[in-house]
Amino acid sequence: MIRSYRNFGHMMVEAMLSMKGIERYYEMSSETVKALDGINLEIEEGERVLLLGPSGSGKTTLLNCIAALDNPTAGEYSFNGNEVPRGHAEKMTSFRRDNIGYVFQFYNLLQDLTALENILLIQELSGGRDGGRARELLRLVGLEGEVDRFPAEMSGGQQQRVAIARSLAKAPKLLLGDELTGNLDSKTTAMVMEVLIKACESENITTVMVTHDESLSKYATRVVRLDSGIVTSDEKMGL
Amino acid sequence: MSMLLTKRLMRSLWRTKLRLSAVVLMIAVGVFAGISFGAYGTAATMMYDDIYSDEEGRINLADVVVENPGGVWNGTTSEEMCQAIRDEWTNPELELEFCEPRLTLEGLMFNLLDNGSEDMVHAVWYGIDEGKVDRVWMPEHDCCSGRLAAAADEIVLDAHAASGMGIDVGESISIAAGAGRMNLTVVGIGLYSNHLYFAEEGALYPASAGTFATGYLSASGMEVLANRSAGSSNIILIDVKGTPSYDLQSTDAVEGVELNAVKAQILEIMSEESDDPVSVYDQSGIYSVELLRADAEGANKMYPYVTGMIAVVAGITIFLSLQRLIQSQAKEIAVLRTLGVPRRSIMPGYILAPMIIGSVGVAIGTALGVWVGAPAMLGMYEDIMGIPIIGYSVPPSLVILNVVIVMVIVLLSGIRPAWQAAQMQPLEVMRGQHEVRLSSRRIQRWTARMPATVGLTIRSSIRKPVRLAFTFLAVGLSMLILGSMLLMMGSIEDMFGTERETWDARVNAPEGGEDEIIQWAQSKGVSYELLLQYPGSPAKSDSRLLSVNGLDQFSSTDSPTGMIHVKLKEGSFPVADATVTQVLIDEGSSEFLGWNIGDQPTMMFGSISKKVEVTGITKGEIFRTVYLHRSDLSAEVGLNATSVLLDLPNGVEVDSELGAISEGITLMADQDKAFDEIMDKQIQFLIAVEGLGILMAFGVLFNTLVMNLAERDSELATLRVLGAPINRLGAMIFGEHLAIGVIGGALACIFSVLGTQLLIDSMVQWAFFFTVQASLGSLAIIGGTVVLMSISLTPFGMWRIKKMDLVDSVKEFSN
Repeated sequence: MIRSYRNFGHMMVEAMLSMKGIERYYEMSSETVKALDGINLEIEEGERVLLLGPSGSGKTTLLNCIAALDNPTAGEYSFNGNEVPRGHAEKMTSFRRDNIGYVFQFYNLLQDLTALENILLIQELSGGRDGGRARELLRLVGLEGEVDRFPAEMSGGQQQRVAIARSLAKAPKLLLGDELTGNLDSKTTAMVMEVLIKACESENITTVMVTHDESLSKYATRVVRLDSGIVTSDEKMGL
Repeated sequence: MSMLLTKRLMRSLWRTKLRLSAVVLMIAVGVFAGISFGAYGTAATMMYDDIYSDEEGRINLADVVVENPGGVWNGTTSEEMCQAIRDEWTNPELELEFCEPRLTLEGLMFNLLDNGSEDMVHAVWYGIDEGKVDRVWMPEHDCCSGRLAAAADEIVLDAHAASGMGIDVGESISIAAGAGRMNLTVVGIGLYSNHLYFAEEGALYPASAGTFATGYLSASGMEVLANRSAGSSNIILIDVKGTPSYDLQSTDAVEGVELNAVKAQILEIMSEESDDPVSVYDQSGIYSVELLRADAEGANKMYPYVTGMIAVVAGITIFLSLQRLIQSQAKEIAVLRTLGVPRRSIMPGYILAPMIIGSVGVAIGTALGVWVGAPAMLGMYEDIMGIPIIGYSVPPSLVILNVVIVMVIVLLSGIRPAWQAAQMQPLEVMRGQHEVRLSSRRIQRWTARMPATVGLTIRSSIRKPVRLAFTFLAVGLSMLILGSMLLMMGSIEDMFGTERETWDARVNAPEGGEDEIIQWAQSKGVSYELLLQYPGSPAKSDSRLLSVNGLDQFSSTDSPTGMIHVKLKEGSFPVADATVTQVLIDEGSSEFLGWNIGDQPTMMFGSISKKVEVTGITKGEIFRTVYLHRSDLSAEVGLNATSVLLDLPNGVEVDSELGAISEGITLMADQDKAFDEIMDKQIQFLIAVEGLGILMAFGVLFNTLVMNLAERDSELATLRVLGAPINRLGAMIFGEHLAIGVIGGALACIFSVLGTQLLIDSMVQWAFFFTVQASLGSLAIIGGTVVLMSISLTPFGMWRIKKMDLVDSVKEFSN
């Protein structure tokens, strides 16, 4: 077990997520692309971290590594003191199932299932169906009246709120969002972000969101900027 | 047509190499099967037309045959009858060319075995003089050699018998025909019209090697063998100049009427000249000839359907693949259309693609068909039918026909997707409204109470109703090949199962010679029954042959007591000596003649007209059959029995003493052996055809299930990102494949039963009546095969998910 602590004055707080010297290289035809080049990052429980950076800065690659979707080329990564599996698809899936919620830019709802069923499906696949909690989550994101609607019958904002509810279905410790408002207008973005924050606070879930939209900084407790695969700044936000 | 657009399309297709290969393979199989079956059909037709023609070196089959089933005319009567026919010939349009009396008798051949013992083989012997009509055929082929029999102690042995017993020209053989043994020298090995298909009279399957023989003596030799006076005959062959048309007994259609008047007149002359009841028939009444004709006709009828069916399956696969391709390229097409690319630039590529795929498949199929399939089928024809194929090559018209059938179907399968691609509205595509889905709301209501995983499985399975319907159609058609074979083989086994007849030996008695055979049986403690078989017909004006069987006792297959049992479908057994003679008829006769229980039609026993009453209908007879009490039949035709059936106890065998007093002995063991041999041959063929059907059905299912999985890549990737374990996703895929397999399997069963019934209906004729027995076992195999194939693709689906790049796949949700 790897323990990582941060010094907060007189007390040592154990980090939920700890990355040390994370590198992710891709071998292209004639060169090696360094998508992540020695990332050091620790995130504590309850934080709302925004990963900001221009295109190609490595923020999505970092998010994929955090989600155990991608295998770092080098470096250490632990979650709640345990080394995160790499190179083993099922163990990585199991890690995500136990710890991670994920919200996609294009919602990725199953078109053949209603809003409620999209949530129930994840519960069933993760081992336990709980209709009451699924309805509660839809209520939490303000969609209690849309439970039986199919994704095609909902707006983009509504679909993303269903996706947020779905990501919370199995009570993850960490919720990840990849450009989750990238497909929404500013008004809908605000609504979705408020719903997300409310839901995460209610469920006590840590969040890490990737975006290139600076305006979302106001919803974060911490903003980490990346460029060319390295962290260029890491600042706490005063909320 | 833009070359760049076409090149792009070809590259897209190339990315689906596996599916592409399956489609090419199916097309190739379609052409291959079409050419192979077609070669069989065209060769059989050529042989039929060629062998029987009146050209030099060919058979010159008689146009009309007069048969005396109950006795032998002496030389004087024979000649008087021919003379009467010549004198009274009044037909102004047809000229009589030959009238040739012949003597033919059943008998035995004593075959000396390697261990020194002697085997008695059932045989038919013919006395053929110079043979102007119905000649012995000795083609220039490995099968045949030597010359015709000229002296009384010479014989031409049939090529089938010679090869079966390993006898060559120059060897001596010993034969009998109810009047003692005779040693003859084999001077030739040849073939004869009545035995080109080397089966015993009335048997549907060829005799096993060494269990049946036929030989062609000189007329004088035959008279010595039968101990008959010079010129004796029991058959008169009549040959008319040219090739007059005649009506086939086995069909409802009227194929020709020229010989009708001739046959009617000859029957009249025969009735005046002789008291013996006679049968008068044309070429359609000669069993072996009719069987070859029906075989050729069936094969020719069949092969366009086989080619078409396989091509339709391939066409459906192309259609579905192109639809999927267009769906996956919808946004690209929309972009091109938005940028101003005209429809006429979009469409040609999607038409060209299937034509190129089709051309590749056709080229492979043609090469395989001409150089592998056709020779194999002709080899099988020679092997099963026992007829040498001389001077045949695959006709170009056959290849062209198959290629055209396949390419037309391939073209048609590409037109609709190409049209759909060209008609795509950019805005609809961008909004995702271009996909046809079954009403999700309705299915949601049906599956709302189910677990979401089950609901998703069901909805995913039926989300593309057109694709699914076409898949089921293609699987059904593919399985029709397997199913029809299974059902037909099952039915044949059911019909020919030997439990219908439980005798060990059937001994043909010379006229009045049954008493001697009975004495032999009694001296050996052998149980026996008498059988009187006689040719009949439904009416005086209807020459279709009925096999009339006079039995000593009636028993059913359910409670067999006698030696011949009938399967009574309905009604009751006849009572002997009734006021109106009571009979059973088979269901084929009932269907063709419209005779039912209680009816009292007038039928013919030879040339004797007799009113009978139908008391029951039997099932399971291939040929049209009538059963009645032997005493009733005997009273009409003046014969006591034609055969004695023997139930041999342990330790008792037929011997040369019995052989000498009989006109041939048929052993049940030989029939069983012949049946087993033909079934073994058929099973090899069956396995090959079944493999073809299964391969095609697998290809169709593979194509559909891979498409289903491919278009759900992003969904499955999303579930994986959200933590769904592979075993749960595997269970979902398994459920989906199981559902498709179960529905597909049920439809395959329905297709098989209906298809086989249609097939049988097209083949059923007077001389060949058949019903399908859809046994649960056969249906379980058909349905189970589809289910098994479908679920066997689950590991492939799981492997595909495992190797999926989740990061890339989830992004595709936006596409």
